[in-house]
Amino acid sequence: MPDNRCSSCGVVMQRKGTAIFKCPACGEGTIGRCTQCRDQSVPYKCEACGFEGP
Amino acid sequence: MEGSENPEEALLIPEDQYLTSGVHIGTQQKSADMKPFIYKIRTDGLYVLDIQKTDDRIRGAGKFLARYEPEQILVVAARQYGQKPAKVFARTIGAKIFAGRFVPGTLTNPDLPMFTEPDIIVVTDPAADQQALKEALNVGIPIIGLCDANNETKFVDFIIPTNNKGRRALAMIYWLLTRQVLKERGTLKDLSGFELAVEDFEATL
Ligand SMILES: [Zn+2]
Ligand SMILES: [Zn+2]
Repeated sequence: MPDNRCSSCGVVMQRKGTAIFKCPACGEGTIGRCTQCRDQSVPYKCEACGFEGP
Repeated sequence: MEGSENPEEALLIPEDQYLTSGVHIGTQQKSADMKPFIYKIRTDGLYVLDIQKTDDRIRGAGKFLARYEPEQILVVAARQYGQKPAKVFARTIGAKIFAGRFVPGTLTNPDLPMFTEPDIIVVTDPAADQQALKEALNVGIPIIGLCDANNETKFVDFIIPTNNKGRRALAMIYWLLTRQVLKERGTLKDLSGFELAVEDFEATL
């Protein structure tokens, strides 16, 4: 998945309020979270290690 | 006080130490967001957090924070009992700290003297620290939140489930976090080499 997509819903992220960071658990996978998924605390999953957040 | 190197098998500290510090003691309400981290409800109506999950998340937070430049980490704590433990944590790992009232614009208004541009933020309570939380959201940095049973986890990117109100619980959780960050950075060779005591993190009464 490209780095600018939300890991939870797949939307292309452009607006402020989004965050992109390396997976807390493994540091390999890239996690993207769009504003809406952050707002609703929608779960995300690391494609590299399977870690589930938030 | 030595923890195991194997995350699957043992806790970072003996379970009874977690229990006496009250890290697992939640609140009388629970939020839907925190349901996955709740172990049970006590007969007196308090929700109890799952210590194993708290322990896992402390390990995760240690790894997460160790990947950032120390001075690019911001720690905030508005409420009284969180201020000292957050300060000792920040000072020991070399992070920035805002304890007490968070001045609006700290992360968003370059004209303010305290303006700062961290790469990651740790909030002690997403409810009490909501100004910092909102600004961190706006500037697009990841947010680590200490979340109690009743917290909404809105905007939090990495939850550490813990009692975030008790004096001793906050001291214990920040002591554990400090030690874990130093361990993950390689500053501490092993956990037993950590010289600060939990009491050094405790707010005075
Ligand atoms: Zn999304
Ligand atoms: Zn991962």
